[in-house]
Amino acid sequence: MARGGGNRSRLLLVLLLVSALFLITLDLRGINLASGVRSAVATVFSPVEKLASKIFSPIGDFTSDLRNFNQSKKRINDLTKEVDLLKSKEVLDEDLVSQVSQLKNLLDLAGRGGYKVVAAKVVNRGPAATFKQTITIDVGSTDGVAKNMTVISDGGLVGVVKSVTSNSSIVLLMSDPTFKVGVRIVGTQGIGVISGQGGDSYLLQLLDATGEIKVGDKLVARGSENGRPYVPGVPVGEVTKVASNASAITQNADVVGFVNIDRVSVVAVVVAPPKSDPRDSLIPRPAPTVTVLVTPTPTPSN
Amino acid sequence: MLRVFNTSLFLFVIFMIQELVIARINFPINGFSLYLAALMVVLALEDRSGSLVFGFIGGVILDFSPSADSPLGQWALVLTIIGYLYSINKESIGDFLDSPFLFLLFVSFATALSLSIFLIIGAMLGANNGSFLHNLLLIFANSLWTILLTPLFLPLIIKVRKLLMSNRERI
Repeated sequence: MARGGGNRSRLLLVLLLVSALFLITLDLRGINLASGVRSAVATVFSPVEKLASKIFSPIGDFTSDLRNFNQSKKRINDLTKEVDLLKSKEVLDEDLVSQVSQLKNLLDLAGRGGYKVVAAKVVNRGPAATFKQTITIDVGSTDGVAKNMTVISDGGLVGVVKSVTSNSSIVLLMSDPTFKVGVRIVGTQGIGVISGQGGDSYLLQLLDATGEIKVGDKLVARGSENGRPYVPGVPVGEVTKVASNASAITQNADVVGFVNIDRVSVVAVVVAPPKSDPRDSLIPRPAPTVTVLVTPTPTPSN
Repeated sequence: MLRVFNTSLFLFVIFMIQELVIARINFPINGFSLYLAALMVVLALEDRSGSLVFGFIGGVILDFSPSADSPLGQWALVLTIIGYLYSINKESIGDFLDSPFLFLLFVSFATALSLSIFLIIGAMLGANNGSFLHNLLLIFANSLWTILLTPLFLPLIIKVRKLLMSNRERI
């Protein structure tokens, strides 16, 4: 009896393993079952995701705030002043105000760059078990979004559209270890490749070993042919540390992105590239300092 | 048959919770997979054939994840292997069930093992999942979160599973 049970288990195991291998083989041979099924699941999930986004976003925001506590402290002080101002104007919906502000800056960036964009809201993040850093946005093929389109936020590059359904899209974030984008150093014209590291910082590999790179250098996307997957001129990040190694074939540097990927809630998909390369015009400039010159005048003596 | 349907439905509901709620939380280092942890608990409580069948079904459900980039069937293969490991170590797992803390460690280890096997099979299939160190950190973080968070939902999973069983199976 026990032997019979053991045989049945072995037969079941073989059957299940063969089924799994059969599915993998079909997928790898180009019979794209996966994208069809996943697209169907994404289409079904999309309305629920939008609802869940409204209900559960405070949970995500809370943990994000815990992670960025130091940054948050300064930001809280700034925002407190801003909120006081807004309250005085009887504007109560702070969340909406923040999103409108992000959207305004985003559209401003797109306008300056000459990008034709479709604005979107982040409705979900990819689960940890997939080993991919992704977000789901609430626009899809019906809005003109297609695979391999650049995704930006008010600060700059966020990622690239990985897959699209009729009303949602999955974006591969630039923090993903498989993400790579060609960049140009503003000013020196040196070119390199930025790769995701799974966190807030990125690795820049300068293609020219003799090229010059220094801390504070700003980087923009070089752009791809026909603007896909990357449109040119999108701000990417700033060099924070240069790893100098004379024997290395390429020069490496650590880069921090202009966009805090963890906090991004409003993005835009670039559906059409600009007519001309915006070059370095989209790089955030430091606010001009106002210098007041005072010439002391002698006080009249009595 | 009804049990297979009920448990599959239960796993799908957990999968939806994972995709729609848990994935939304920005865990430090990286996330926690409620789905994998719950599946490991279910596999531990099943009999030999049940571990195999629900390992496979659980894997197919995970393969449906819209953000997954792996070939369809990769998770099914991984979790069938895990189900097999459960089925051949059924007696030893019984010892773990007697002590809640040991059981937690066991679930956490099984989750880490399934993620590791997924990465190894992925590498064999030519997938690029980033650096070794980065993945090691992800698996470690996942295990840590599994140990910390599983006690919160473990009683609920056991209770729901009992409800899903027929009267005869309960006896």
